[in-house]
Amino acid sequence: MKTLLRVAAVVAVVALVLAPLRLNGYLLNLLYTTVLYVALAYGWNIISGYAGYFSFGQIAFFGVGAYATGLLVADLNWFWMLAALAGGAIACALAIPLGYVMLRLRGPFFAMGMFGMAQMVRVVVTAIPATGSGSGLFLPPGSSLTGVYYWTLAICLGAIGLTIWIDRSAFGLRLQALREDEQVAGTLGVDVTRAKITAFALSALIPGLLGGGYALFLTYIEPDAAFSSRLDLQSIVMAILGGVGTVWGPLVGGVVMTQISEALWAKFPQIYLMLFGGLLVGLLLALPRGIVPALAGRRRPR
Amino acid sequence: MIALQLAINGILLGGVLALSALGFNIIFGVMRVVNLAHGDFVVLAAVLCAYAFTQFGINPLLLLPLTIVVGFIAGALVHRFLLRRLPREIASAEASSLTLTFGLSYFLAGGGLALFGGRFVSVPFLTGAYQLGPISVPQARLLAFAAALVLSVAFAVFLRSTLLGRAIRATSQHLEGALACGIDVDRVRTLAFAAGTAIACAAGTLVSFLFNVNAQQGVLYTVNAFAVVVIGGLGNYTGAVLGALVLGLTESFSSYLLGSTLAEAAPYFLFILVLLLAPAGLLGKRAA
Repeated sequence: MKTLLRVAAVVAVVALVLAPLRLNGYLLNLLYTTVLYVALAYGWNIISGYAGYFSFGQIAFFGVGAYATGLLVADLNWFWMLAALAGGAIACALAIPLGYVMLRLRGPFFAMGMFGMAQMVRVVVTAIPATGSGSGLFLPPGSSLTGVYYWTLAICLGAIGLTIWIDRSAFGLRLQALREDEQVAGTLGVDVTRAKITAFALSALIPGLLGGGYALFLTYIEPDAAFSSRLDLQSIVMAILGGVGTVWGPLVGGVVMTQISEALWAKFPQIYLMLFGGLLVGLLLALPRGIVPALAGRRRPR
Repeated sequence: MIALQLAINGILLGGVLALSALGFNIIFGVMRVVNLAHGDFVVLAAVLCAYAFTQFGINPLLLLPLTIVVGFIAGALVHRFLLRRLPREIASAEASSLTLTFGLSYFLAGGGLALFGGRFVSVPFLTGAYQLGPISVPQARLLAFAAALVLSVAFAVFLRSTLLGRAIRATSQHLEGALACGIDVDRVRTLAFAAGTAIACAAGTLVSFLFNVNAQQGVLYTVNAFAVVVIGGLGNYTGAVLGALVLGLTESFSSYLLGSTLAEAAPYFLFILVLLLAPAGLLGKRAA
């Protein structure tokens, strides 16, 4: 069984790498969207799934990554992958002081506090004159969807690898301990603040790196696109429906929900929001613990 | 003079914010559920009222009793058939109630969009203003403030002096204690969710003649309610009134002094600041 799964994983990765050779514009677009959502869901899953800090604002780091990349490419003529890498580093560095402040909040306070923080970061970023304020920033054309796709795929695979490592490591155990009871974890010798902030910074690095690719994909960034609450909330929904705090939940939830969402959008654009909302409620009631734990048929291991 | 005018605008706005936040607060207090669909109930009621006014010429104040009843029924149904079915014992219970109300929010916003379209609508009703020397008091805002005040006081009296109101307060203060007193907590929860939704719809009716609204603006009202409640202290019903005044004044002054783009961030800034400096709210006791 285990070798079978490994073989399937290798085949899937090879297929994903070769996909741009065979796929046309629309399908490659759909594949890019899927991989982007899966990667975002993995990023969110670290701080919110493993550490239990439910964030509604990780999109702040996505937007920072997108704008940093946009500025470096448009104004300083950097090569875009280097710029996107810098975007990720900036988002990650920003997460450390922000996390130090915001992670004092808990539960719904942290969730809504992060929502507010994302709005504030958005207002600050767009108030900088160099970002073109509300009217946006044009990127020089020339990048291909294929390049952006490979960038995003690499980050997505990296995020999965990171999650597998977290799930098995002592660091992951520390996060799960503080999720179950922060005080007890602290008493048992876990450096709670350090563990939380590390998880938060990793959860910011992934969307930060993805943001640069997204900026190239759009070739034009404006606040509503870079800090899109739709991207944020839908990736959260995917992680939850897949299974919060599990290794494979974001992958399963992301792949399944992106296809459903795109199909609904293509067939019923007028009532898309309503259908998506209704579906979300229905799925949540049917599988409150998520798809992956339901398939595993038992309580979360460990 | 400008400061006085801004202050009056802020206080009048605060009345409606306080009413809307009261509904949000009662649901959080009793159920520990952050209702992300709160604002969608507010704007849906507002859009409905605007529709009824433009199509049939019905005065929104006449619709107030109707929206309250419809909101009450809708809230009761949402609790009975959706929220109550979520398992309470799992680790992610908080996450699932957030997700559920988030899905509901999408559903309501999408439904409103499909039914009424995305245009901004409002009720051109009482557009005049009273002049008190250099100060002008918009009639619509004054009326909305008065109506919000009456409804809030009526609800406060209900909470203080009826048996049912006491059961609601008992449940929000101490769940086990309420259970030990023989309170049917499950029924109280349904009642609280229904009452919270009814209040949201009442606030929406008042919003319909204050602001331009469309069905997708729910998030804004959810965030405002959340900010008010955080500033006043979650579950603290008198604190919320203070919170609403603070937020109303902040919005009024910041949109004048900072311009509308920066003013958008004002409620967020305010509630994060309060959360960090006084986590139990401005009137809250230290360490809850």
